[in-house]
Amino acid sequence: MKKTLILLAASAALAFGGEQFSMSDADRAMYAEMLESNPAEMFVAGGADLLEEHCGGDAGLAKFLDVSEEKLPEYIAGFPRYVKKLEGVVALDQVLQALMAQNKQKPFALKSAEMFAMSAYAKSIANDVEINIDVTANAPMKKAYALGKEVYETKRGGRGLACLSCHSSDVIGSILRTQPLPDLGDAESNSGGTWPAYRMTKSSLTTIQKRFQGCMQNALLAVIPLGSEEMVALEVYITNLGKGNAIAIPGLKR
Amino acid sequence: MNKILTLAITAAAVLTNTFAADVRSAIESPDAKKILKKDYLGPAKKYTMPAGCISNDPDAIARGKFIFHNLNGGAAEGHFPKGLAKKLPNGEVKQYGNCVACHNIEDAQGGGNIGPDLTNYKAYFMDTNTRDNAWVYQKIADPRIDNENTHMTINLTTGLFTETEICEMTSYIVSEKK
Ligand code: HEC
Ligand code: HEC
Repeated sequence: MKKTLILLAASAALAFGGEQFSMSDADRAMYAEMLESNPAEMFVAGGADLLEEHCGGDAGLAKFLDVSEEKLPEYIAGFPRYVKKLEGVVALDQVLQALMAQNKQKPFALKSAEMFAMSAYAKSIANDVEINIDVTANAPMKKAYALGKEVYETKRGGRGLACLSCHSSDVIGSILRTQPLPDLGDAESNSGGTWPAYRMTKSSLTTIQKRFQGCMQNALLAVIPLGSEEMVALEVYITNLGKGNAIAIPGLKR
Repeated sequence: MNKILTLAITAAAVLTNTFAADVRSAIESPDAKKILKKDYLGPAKKYTMPAGCISNDPDAIARGKFIFHNLNGGAAEGHFPKGLAKKLPNGEVKQYGNCVACHNIEDAQGGGNIGPDLTNYKAYFMDTNTRDNAWVYQKIADPRIDNENTHMTINLTTGLFTETEICEMTSYIVSEKK
């Protein structure tokens, strides 16, 4: 029932797109088919196995985060967040790195397929829970939010563009070289709640920070590294745009 | 007794601290500040259009047109105009304007609509004296002078294009299209 609804919403959005957009009829058919069975479900299932093996599964993660297993989904729906024992605001994949280290293992790199899968599973624990990030919860969160906003709004790079140049409310829905500009915070794009997602154009599961890097590269902004304070801050800022949207991992993106 | 307790407490504290430090240092958190600092722009800059900037030379207009419609030397499409490089002096692939990403204009393929439609620009904007050459030149060179919060790309202050190339793009936009 729910799937059909999403499918309907998606095809309505695509139909609105019309001929000029780069999704051809064949692309559209593929998108519809993938909505029925997102290829990334397989990776997420693999991620569950990895979490079990390296982090003690859901229970190990809950223990590390000092929350009950019952409260875990709610807690995960608030990431990136300040974690006292990690002395800072961290994204969920960074928590998994710390947890692996505690278990005396070499943490997966943030850019590894293993980490994409494992963090996708970890975030999917919060599926159907509303994003509840609190950017005023404490001083470090306030600071991360302010930094994220600054990075988001500051023009830079070869063309002097900022994220805001293409994602501000006054250009949403306009067309950039055949692509409609998405509203990162609305229920349809739901950027804060749908990554890690499967990207059809890359045929792979990828994270939101990787997606940021994609925009940076395309728009000639110098690409900043995964896990940097600024990347986490951007994730805080963008997740907050979609506060209240339900988490639905893995997302499916063009 | 008291001493032993203090010792035990200190040891526990040291242990927790090392734990935090160890686990914290296992997290990838590379520095991005240097990369960003180098990438930021200077303030908005006002430019004087160089003498002889606007040209009727078909080759100059062709180069302006090419830069306007294309994204980079590697994937650049269409007839390659005389006098335009595919590579930079340092061997890197040259980036073009990709102006059609945001603007429609005559012959645009997949033109965007984030910026205004520049079709019939001469008739609508130049012949009516709504704009002049220097204004268009400045708009392309650094649009922040005209609009502090512009979403348009900055093309001279960033060093992506030379004065001559900005002149060629301006010449193309203000020219009569066939
Ligand atoms: C030149 C325009 C441009 C700039 C600059 C830009 N983006 Fe994007 N962005 C786009 C377009 C177009 C899409 C949708 C592309 C698609 O459908 O594949 C997009 C998609 C996204 C998405 C995915 C939306 C989803 O479906 O969840 C995110 C997240 C995002 N951008 C973040 C950023 C961030 C962060 C920056 C700055 C570092 C940035 N963008 C800069 C044009 C831009
Ligand atoms: C990311 C989007 C974007 C790109 C790429 C872009 N522009 Fe623009 N352009 C705009 C917007 C938005 C405006 C509207 C005015 C403003 O806000 O500054 C504009 C305005 C203009 C104008 C002024 C039109 C008028 O008379 O009011 C000219 C000329 C122009 N652009 C030329 C160019 C050229 C040449 C390029 C490529 C080198 C280019 N643009 C690339 C977004 C863009």
